[in-house]
Amino acid sequence: MNAEQAFDLSVKASLENLQEIRNYIDQAGARLGVSESALGDLRLVVDEAVTNVILHGYGDLDGIVEIHMAGDGDAVIIRIRDQAKTFDASDISKPLLDTALKDRPFGGMGIFLIRKMTDEAEFLPLPGGGNEIRLVKRGAIPPRAQ
Amino acid sequence: MATLNIMVGQEQGNVPVTVLRVEGDIDAASHKTLQDRASELIDGGATNILLDLGGVNYMGSAGFRALHAIANKLSGDDASGLSKSPHLKLLNPTDAVARVIKTLGFDVYLDIFQDKNEAVNSF
Repeated sequence: MNAEQAFDLSVKASLENLQEIRNYIDQAGARLGVSESALGDLRLVVDEAVTNVILHGYGDLDGIVEIHMAGDGDAVIIRIRDQAKTFDASDISKPLLDTALKDRPFGGMGIFLIRKMTDEAEFLPLPGGGNEIRLVKRGAIPPRAQ
Repeated sequence: MATLNIMVGQEQGNVPVTVLRVEGDIDAASHKTLQDRASELIDGGATNILLDLGGVNYMGSAGFRALHAIANKLSGDDASGLSKSPHLKLLNPTDAVARVIKTLGFDVYLDIFQDKNEAVNSF
């Protein structure tokens, strides 16, 4: 029952570790039997979420990012925890997809992609400080792999 | 850390076209490498850029910010409306990258080609 397995990674919150984080998602996803298309989406949403934590949460401060990835039936559940200042994703406006490129603001694409490519995306402050991003992607694990 | 390799070539179609063959992952750590290289080339006189993404397995939103900046720098003041960029085009994105291009609506702004000659002659 691969879908009951869980995988954890704890790394320094640094852009230099994004590659390692994507590799971890690939390896954990393969062990869970995640489909190739869902794995591509998860690689992207985790990269975007951790990038936000590094750039907007910790900023210039050092910190740790903890990632937990597990299967639940056909779904993949990912928790990303940090000890950074509270980050309110609702403050980020959606990118203006129907606006001329020259007039489009540069930001907002990461949060947009996270919401677009998951079934649930919650941004929660942790009681003791820090944040948890909880991501759920359903239909990610084909039946034969569960 | 993701390493981005960028090979620069020149092609002559109807106009001179600078081809950037990118290999590696384009993320928040590496996107500036692409943006800075393209910016140098534009400052050096490049007016049409074909970005060959065949060697890019991953591109996140940082990569799209780089494309956005390159397209704007190439367009100068002549960008108008919702028309596609006449100066920046994409070649051969992988399926994963093509999916994000479409999700973010960049296919509305940038022509995407699978064939290099067709791409070069489209400028």
